[in-house]
Amino acid sequence: MQNDQHHLSLGPFRLQVDPTRAKTYALETGGDGLSAPLAYPAVWLAEPTLLEIIQDLCRSQDVIPVHESQSFFYTLELALGESYDLYVLLKRETEPSRLIIEATIKTTTNRLVATIETILRLVPYDIMKAKA
Amino acid sequence: MSCGITLGEKLPEVIIGPFDADALQRYADVSGDTNPLHLDETLAQSIGFSSPPVHGMKILAAFEPMLKNWRSELKIIALSGKFVQPILRGESVKLTGKVLRVSDTEIFVRLFAHGPQRLPAIIGEARLSPPTEPFA
Repeated sequence: MQNDQHHLSLGPFRLQVDPTRAKTYALETGGDGLSAPLAYPAVWLAEPTLLEIIQDLCRSQDVIPVHESQSFFYTLELALGESYDLYVLLKRETEPSRLIIEATIKTTTNRLVATIETILRLVPYDIMKAKA
Repeated sequence: MSCGITLGEKLPEVIIGPFDADALQRYADVSGDTNPLHLDETLAQSIGFSSPPVHGMKILAAFEPMLKNWRSELKIIALSGKFVQPILRGESVKLTGKVLRVSDTEIFVRLFAHGPQRLPAIIGEARLSPPTEPFA
């Protein structure tokens, strides 16, 4: 793990496309459950190691994470039951206040599968209340 | 033109939702996104929402089946979206799409998710690749 003032590199995490979870995810998002959903890696971004860092950051600054944008770019398809390595880079921006999560998925033989970008706007609780 | 797809072609509209509290809880359970903002009505109301907002990812992910139902032979190589406005629990969402670029190697589709508000909830895009031609 590497860390500097604004970047935190995590992983790799060895994760699997769990067939049951992938089917449930697909059915909850309108799919047929016959293949791994494109958006399935979103479940990996909720891994406790990553989620705790985000939750700690939000608690310490009294902010609410608001999902601003999300992207998935694939070079290979995810396969049900297969294991992959997930590499994560967290980037903290201050103007505006954001947390950018860049994730790279590779096969266990180091072939690129996908890149994912999640941008969370960190909105102070009081401002969120005033805007809504 | 590629695979019979024309510039400006509109994808068949899809209506999803409305989503109730059980649907949001099920999505939270399977995705791991248990942010209480989506599940706790009191918290949502404390910051001014009349109901908890639906997970943006739940809606963005629904574009995949929409695209597959439109052209199952195409491979989706990219999907992205900007979450502009929240969709609240109990609101229906209209998913639309329009082909903005077509080449021999890629089809670019602009995507929108609209709730009851004037502005879209999601402005997205997808890039799809046509099926590989068999060797002659």
